[in-house]
Amino acid sequence: MVFSSISFLFFFLPILFLIYFTIPQKYRNITLLIFSLIFYFFGEKWYVLLLIFSSTINYLIGKKIGKKKDKKFLLIGIIFDLGLLIYFKYTNFFIENFNGLLNLSIPSLKVILPLGISFFTFQNLSYLVDVYRKDVECERNLLDYITYIALFPQLVAGPIVRYRDIKDELLERKETIDNFAEGVMRFTIGLGKKVLIADTLYNSYTTIMASDLSLISYWLIALMFTFQIYYDFSGYSDMAIGLGKMFGFNFKENFNYPLVASSITDFWRRWHMSLSGFFKDYVYIPLGGNRCGKIRNIFNIFIVWSLTGFWHGASWNFLFWGLYFFLFLILEKFILKKHFKVGILSRVYTFLIVTISFVIFSVTDIGALGTFLKGLMGIGTELLNDETLYYLKNNIVIILISFIGMGPWLKKLIEKIKKGKLEKCLSVLEYIYFISILIMAISVLISSTFNPFIYFRF
Amino acid sequence: MKNKLIAFTFILILGIGLTLTFTLPDKKMSTLERRKLTTKEVLESGFVENLDDYMSEQIPFRNTFLAFGSAFERYILQNEESNDSYIKDGYIIEKNYHLDEVSIDNFIKKLNFIADKVTPNGDVFYSVIPDKSYYLNADSSLKLDYDDIETKLRSSIEGEYIDILECFELSDYYKTDIHLKQEAYFKILDKFLDRVGIKEEDIKYEKKTLDDFYGASFSKVPFFKPESIEYFSNDILENVHVSHLESGKREVYDFKANTEMDLYNIFLSGPSALIEIENEGAYSDRELIIFRDSFASSMTPLLTPYFKKITLIDLRYISLDYVLKNVDFQNKDILFLYSTLIINKSSILKVNVP
Repeated sequence: MVFSSISFLFFFLPILFLIYFTIPQKYRNITLLIFSLIFYFFGEKWYVLLLIFSSTINYLIGKKIGKKKDKKFLLIGIIFDLGLLIYFKYTNFFIENFNGLLNLSIPSLKVILPLGISFFTFQNLSYLVDVYRKDVECERNLLDYITYIALFPQLVAGPIVRYRDIKDELLERKETIDNFAEGVMRFTIGLGKKVLIADTLYNSYTTIMASDLSLISYWLIALMFTFQIYYDFSGYSDMAIGLGKMFGFNFKENFNYPLVASSITDFWRRWHMSLSGFFKDYVYIPLGGNRCGKIRNIFNIFIVWSLTGFWHGASWNFLFWGLYFFLFLILEKFILKKHFKVGILSRVYTFLIVTISFVIFSVTDIGALGTFLKGLMGIGTELLNDETLYYLKNNIVIILISFIGMGPWLKKLIEKIKKGKLEKCLSVLEYIYFISILIMAISVLISSTFNPFIYFRF
Repeated sequence: MKNKLIAFTFILILGIGLTLTFTLPDKKMSTLERRKLTTKEVLESGFVENLDDYMSEQIPFRNTFLAFGSAFERYILQNEESNDSYIKDGYIIEKNYHLDEVSIDNFIKKLNFIADKVTPNGDVFYSVIPDKSYYLNADSSLKLDYDDIETKLRSSIEGEYIDILECFELSDYYKTDIHLKQEAYFKILDKFLDRVGIKEEDIKYEKKTLDDFYGASFSKVPFFKPESIEYFSNDILENVHVSHLESGKREVYDFKANTEMDLYNIFLSGPSALIEIENEGAYSDRELIIFRDSFASSMTPLLTPYFKKITLIDLRYISLDYVLKNVDFQNKDILFLYSTLIINKSSILKVNVP
């Protein structure tokens, strides 16, 4: 089940509201657990048992580590979690490449990638490491632990919520009308980002890709890739955070206007913050971080970005994508840093590098990627043609909306108004804005057939 | 107060959606989208798999939501094109502007092959009905290259070409459908009648109107207004003998056809492989055979008074082999009347050219 579906909005959610808010507090976690498992079952059927099994094993190992800080148990846990992830996500990739490299014909495994396995594996890992480090006490209640892992708002596409961040709220939280309304607003904004912007961009660029491509249309598509991925994923995170708020949870932010970052280093402080935070705390720093020699530091960064790329998918383009960022991060850290001034130029530079990165991210076929990159450089294509002009005209508004939405400008304006005398007027506008987005998003959902989330495949 | 209102509205919208979807009786068909809708039975065969489809199709105010969705794209995003169609000059146009050269070559081969089979001297005539984009005041990237089509057909088809391209204008087409209105064909009758040596008569017709016509493109832009279909009838047309290969005796204007799905089906009962129209009181003893697509359904009634017999063959639904075995082509006038939509997608015609 996905958040941006009619069955989620008009079946799952209202029934959950009805039950959750009418039963006594002590049954609310179990209600959330049952509904989270149903949510997962709708998408992945019996893989829900894998989710329960994996959580239970991690819970048991966590208890062992909690009792006795023994590295052996931590290692068993890490091997178990990564083993599952590798088996489901990477085995066929390795088989295909071995076959190609060594001229073998090892048959592929008939496995499908369980939804959200990359996310819940990382949550399990972070829990075990945190317990081992004594950053957090182990969870004593199995059901509460599975609730943490399976909590539907963040289960299938993050953010990667750490146990230590919601431990207290799992035990005791306060659901208020204000929090609920704030959650509804956040959820609606996320739904709008996903359905009204990201899906529209997707539909547009798939049409443009079938036309006679020119240099300008290649760049238009690249721009659309960038905006689609951003609005899709940040929209999902908004929905997750909003849903969490409705039920009294406060998940950490996952995006902070990354497309207006002033450098690639800055971009990764703002993009998918829960993932970059994970790699920083559980890979980069344990490897020695930057408190070592220059070569070792570069090696550490290389490892982190290879893993970041590979985490996104079992495909070479994702590995290239990670290494592409590694190159620019190294460049910035060791060469450009001294000359860097935050300003329009640095933001344009970042946006350009990020836009090209999302071409590498989106075009999974290496041959097609080569053709696309050539197209971006104008090799073998004309500058502009009638079709490009037609598509530019038709998509100019969505592109403008995407540009406006990528920065904090509107938010700042609203905050300014709130401080002024127009607060009441703003409340009315806010309500109209909320209703309009919700109705429009539902309308587009009903009339469209496409809406998978990009980050589901991870 | 604002927060209470937001929370209340959200729960109310979701709650109403849930309650009404499951308590209101299911709608079996969508006239607007011309298709059957998913009903509750589908949930019995797989609740988890089918819930979303069921709810999306049975949600209350579905048509209004569809209209909002389309209006969002067209008016807020200012995107003229969505769902493979675009709006120009108040008309919905299906996107069909990439000329398929292979398809056109195959169309020519198929037509020549048929002509050789049905007449010893290739004495056929043919005409092309343009897609409405031909009459659009739009840039060329949105149109098929009609000049190219015409040049190719004229240089390669053995038969007489009847040029009707300049006879129509955009207003002759329905706004929400691909077809021409019936009255538009009055403009070209003489061209076909001249070709077979029949004089056009001053025949009196009664113009009748049917409302609530949702054209084939309507669902793509559901905030358009439904249109009317006007058709022309008289005693001659009410007394001719119409026979369909699949369903036997029918009428020229057939209200027993599936008009709920498509009101255009009143013209000769809609899609049909082989139709014979016999008219004892015709103005001539000539017999006409038309290889055709759906455009001919509304034109043929206007040709009916002039011919003793008209045979309509739609090769999308019947193979040429069957036609050659069962239709007598001796001493008949043979017309190929196809729209550019079919010419650009000629694989749909069941003709095996060796």
